[in-house]
Amino acid sequence: MTSQTMTEPVPAQARLSVRSVLQNAGIGLALLALILFFSVFTEHFLTPNNITNILTQITINLVLAVGMTFVILIGGIDLSVGSVMAFAAVVAGKAITLPGFGPAEAIALAIVAATVTGVACGIFNGVVSAYWALPSFIITLGMLNIARGAALQVSDAQTIYSFPFAFEEFGSSMVYGVPVVFLVALLLVLVAWFILNFTVFGRLLYGIGNNEEAVRLAGHPVFWYKVAAFTICGFTAGIAAIVYMARLNISSPIAGIGFELNAIAAVIIGGTSLSGGRGSVIGTLLGAFIIGVLANGLILIGLSDFMRQMITGVVIIIAVVLDYYRAKYTSK
Amino acid sequence: MKLFKIAAAAATGLALLAGSAQADDKPVVGLIMKSLANEFFQNMLVGAQAHEEKRGDYKLLAVGMQNETDFESQINAVENFITQGVDAIVVAPADSRAMVRPLKKAMAAGIVVVNFDVALDADAKKQQNVDLAFVGPDNRGGAKLAGDALGKKLGAGGKVVIIEGNPGADNANERRLGFEDSVAEYKLDLLDSRTAHWETEEANTVFSNMLTAHPDIQGVMAANDSMAIGVVKALESAGRDDIVVVGFDNIPAVGPMIEDGRMLATVDQFGTDMAANSIDLALEVVKGGAPLEGWVKTPIELVTAN
Repeated sequence: MTSQTMTEPVPAQARLSVRSVLQNAGIGLALLALILFFSVFTEHFLTPNNITNILTQITINLVLAVGMTFVILIGGIDLSVGSVMAFAAVVAGKAITLPGFGPAEAIALAIVAATVTGVACGIFNGVVSAYWALPSFIITLGMLNIARGAALQVSDAQTIYSFPFAFEEFGSSMVYGVPVVFLVALLLVLVAWFILNFTVFGRLLYGIGNNEEAVRLAGHPVFWYKVAAFTICGFTAGIAAIVYMARLNISSPIAGIGFELNAIAAVIIGGTSLSGGRGSVIGTLLGAFIIGVLANGLILIGLSDFMRQMITGVVIIIAVVLDYYRAKYTSK
Repeated sequence: MKLFKIAAAAATGLALLAGSAQADDKPVVGLIMKSLANEFFQNMLVGAQAHEEKRGDYKLLAVGMQNETDFESQINAVENFITQGVDAIVVAPADSRAMVRPLKKAMAAGIVVVNFDVALDADAKKQQNVDLAFVGPDNRGGAKLAGDALGKKLGAGGKVVIIEGNPGADNANERRLGFEDSVAEYKLDLLDSRTAHWETEEANTVFSNMLTAHPDIQGVMAANDSMAIGVVKALESAGRDDIVVVGFDNIPAVGPMIEDGRMLATVDQFGTDMAANSIDLALEVVKGGAPLEGWVKTPIELVTAN
């Protein structure tokens, strides 16, 4: 796909969705193979409780990875999401424990506080890296430190606790065994999928990843599109903070260390190209599942922590190598 | 490179200025801690600052690290303190081996060095010919207190798991060994032992999966309270109230959990006072007292609902 997306978007879009189906089929098969393997070798893997556990456990990573997909599609990266999540959680934790509010107001306040914090950090990342055309790698590395420091400063390095009971309930409630927080993540995936495939904005993000200059020459405000991609990523970090708080009923300023790497891994395993312009959020969903299933299954199988870490690394590399071949064959 | 040298020279100059600024005869104590992102050390710093104000007869210079594995900044801090000519260095080493050589240099410069929180490695001390006392809690003994509480509750054959701290960290090792001592003494059945890197969310995930693999778990020993919170949340979502949890550190967030029985016990090692106590000991030596020897144990206490 090149600049022709702009001149004839409809056929390019059709071709791309066929291609993305092919891509996702590969990742889906890999996921299926993993599930099959663990089902055969452990007795507890394919039980309703464990499936609920896996869904709960991948939720935060999935939420972060959805936002990360937008940034990676335009050829950027956001290393700050783990820290921004912690910062948003701490700000929201301060808000929710403010005296003088009923539970409903306190929860609403916390949700607003978390998303506003995330969005603000995202706007900063986007504006600074797009305005001066600086590598987002280094700008978001700066933000990684700013947000972590801010989280520690705001919380005085203390864990914030005792949230309203209703919030706790939301974090652990289920619909037919599916955690509500996972449904929130799934909704984000669907909205992202719609935006990326069926809006001009979404298609142009792919265009920016492929050929930024062409999109600019076609008269589109590339600057604002890039800022929007980073803002979406910050927004999802804010949502992840809410999920974290609802699930654990605390806000910890040291939460989310290294989460950015897991989110990036989910996106890349999901077949999105690190250089931008190619990939899909459905792939990201499958990528998050692969990471989650692996983390869960390897514990059930009784593998030691160190072996587990090594195998996770190997799987990431295999996924990317496979993606190289998949990209080679599907682009013919 | 040139820029770096200029920066280094400027930094040394500043350090010297800072040193000579302490012209009054109050002794200067350099306090080197681990990550201030850790609640434990943050509280310790607050405790030390309050102590400085209260005693009023010494000047405190405190330094922390960026994260738990940033040894470099601790070594730099020791070197800066030597340049500034402080009277005593009170240090919680991030690495029990890497810190021995720089501290030896400080002792050679006539600075009173007190090692607290985590003991320097005995072999490394011998190799470098350093004789240095340790002021600190018995992490192993503390973990055994918590483990014993669990053992007494469950009785012989109780099925337990351990949630460990960072692999390779000395206090994580000591606490794991303490838990294992309890396992041996009370003839508990240790089903699994895994790290959750001191972190709540990871402990929640790791423990949920352990519980799936071993639904018959009866007790959990978590190497810190942040991880114990993650375990308690996992038990709540699994609807299990028959599993006994113990932690370590006594952070405020676990107070309500111990009160209402979601946790059986935790261990308080009085981190807030630890730096302050070590500073007292260091000042004693600075004023001509006898040098410290061996292991000066600081108090630890089992915290339960009553």
